[in-house]
Amino acid sequence: MPIALIVGGGMAGRAAAVTLRRVGYQGEVVLVGDESTPPYDRPPLSKSVIVGTADLDKVIKQTLETYAEDGIELRLGVAVTAADADAKTATLSDGSEIAWDALVIATGCAPREVPIPGLDKPGVFRITRIDEALAIQEVLASGPKRLAIIGGGFIGMEAAAAAVAHGHTATVIEAAPEPMARPLGLTVAERVLQWATDRGVEVLAGVGVEEVLGDDRASGVKLASGDIIDADLVICAIGQVPRLGLAQLLGCAEEAGGVQVDASMQTSVAGVYAVGDIAAFPSKWADEDRIRIEHAAVAIGHGQTAAEHIATGEGLFEDLPSFWSDQGDITLNMVGVARPDDEIIWRGDQDLPACTAFYLREGKLRAAMSVGDMKTLRGVRKLFAAGVSPTAEQLADPDVDLAALAAAG
Amino acid sequence: MAQVSIGSLSDFPEGTPTFAEADGTRLCIVRVGDKVHAICDDCPHAEASLSEGDFLADDMAVECPLHGSAFNLESGDPDAPPATEAVQVFNVTVDGDTVLVEV
Repeated sequence: MPIALIVGGGMAGRAAAVTLRRVGYQGEVVLVGDESTPPYDRPPLSKSVIVGTADLDKVIKQTLETYAEDGIELRLGVAVTAADADAKTATLSDGSEIAWDALVIATGCAPREVPIPGLDKPGVFRITRIDEALAIQEVLASGPKRLAIIGGGFIGMEAAAAAVAHGHTATVIEAAPEPMARPLGLTVAERVLQWATDRGVEVLAGVGVEEVLGDDRASGVKLASGDIIDADLVICAIGQVPRLGLAQLLGCAEEAGGVQVDASMQTSVAGVYAVGDIAAFPSKWADEDRIRIEHAAVAIGHGQTAAEHIATGEGLFEDLPSFWSDQGDITLNMVGVARPDDEIIWRGDQDLPACTAFYLREGKLRAAMSVGDMKTLRGVRKLFAAGVSPTAEQLADPDVDLAALAAAG
Repeated sequence: MAQVSIGSLSDFPEGTPTFAEADGTRLCIVRVGDKVHAICDDCPHAEASLSEGDFLADDMAVECPLHGSAFNLESGDPDAPPATEAVQVFNVTVDGDTVLVEV
């Protein structure tokens, strides 16, 4: 019986395993993950999990038993230590060996290492794994706390917004002058930042962290400016780097900081697929030959595509990239591939409760970020599907029905 | 399984997702013509109430207001991520003017 081996128990890996069964793959499905928890949804970690409002049964979607019932063998708490592309074998950290017919690498990202002294102190948390998020939850559960959050990306801003909404105080420290400007562009990032500060999140931008203070336990951070931010806990959310070790062991070609794949998610090595954060994939929605996207919806789509291709020999990833960011009571939904220097056209008055920012490049619609307006976003999806790019005036006018424009062609 | 009344037809405006509760089960109800559909109101992906979303007539689906996965009223399947799990679909019968859901 053929064996499909999936390495990585994140969202892309789980999607691959579940989809293999859904499309009727006849072989064995083995998923190897280095965490002890079965695959779980990662987005809630920086939001509902840390503040204790998450339904963990929903976050951790299945148990070992139900995976077994579905014909998926989970090997948890083990890593792949060696692999041979010719023999098609992988050696695990528990000493066992698995032969594969198809291999899906879904190893995701590891937290970025930064040389800030004191990050190893108790009371400093990362937020990339569920055990870490639950450790934060335990601290926050004992009453209002002061959080110092290093890093003003989506994860840091989400954690800050969730904490503030639950009675804590949060200071976000971002070394770059404009938090979230890279994914959202400057003018949109400024609006989102304003909404966060309106809700009580303190943001210090353009200043680095010199060290984490505290004797036995983190008591705050010292900034490069010399200022000291007192804190009961410190969250380090300064980004992540793709985990390429296994792909490199197998000799997979690399591109764009990740593993080069074709539209079926196959790497340069026959029978080896790469999905999720690590995959540099072709997308007709991007200018580049291949892009990497570190967001859940894309990761799930990658896993589904690889599984379909393994099972049926068909399947291409052609999804319009999308992501969301829940920041307290605000949800940003974005579709398309934006660049920081895109021209921004707003629909609505650039404010809550509902508005949309359109991203144009060379006059053409490339992406949209919407808050509280799913109808407009749905219209944008239809425009992309139809290959229709409206004028800036049409985009800005709330009375213009984008879905109708798409239908008219 | 029990047939539970959740109200009369006029309680459910055509094409408008509406919240209802039947023996503690949270439901999103959509009336399309004479037919009434019932799915679980809780998005299987995140903490969202599907009855606060829009009905997409072309797809016979309800769109989650939070992250945009649209759930088919007949199969319960999502059209696209982030949701990957189907919502539960409930049998509905209309007896005269009374809407009964099997929960």
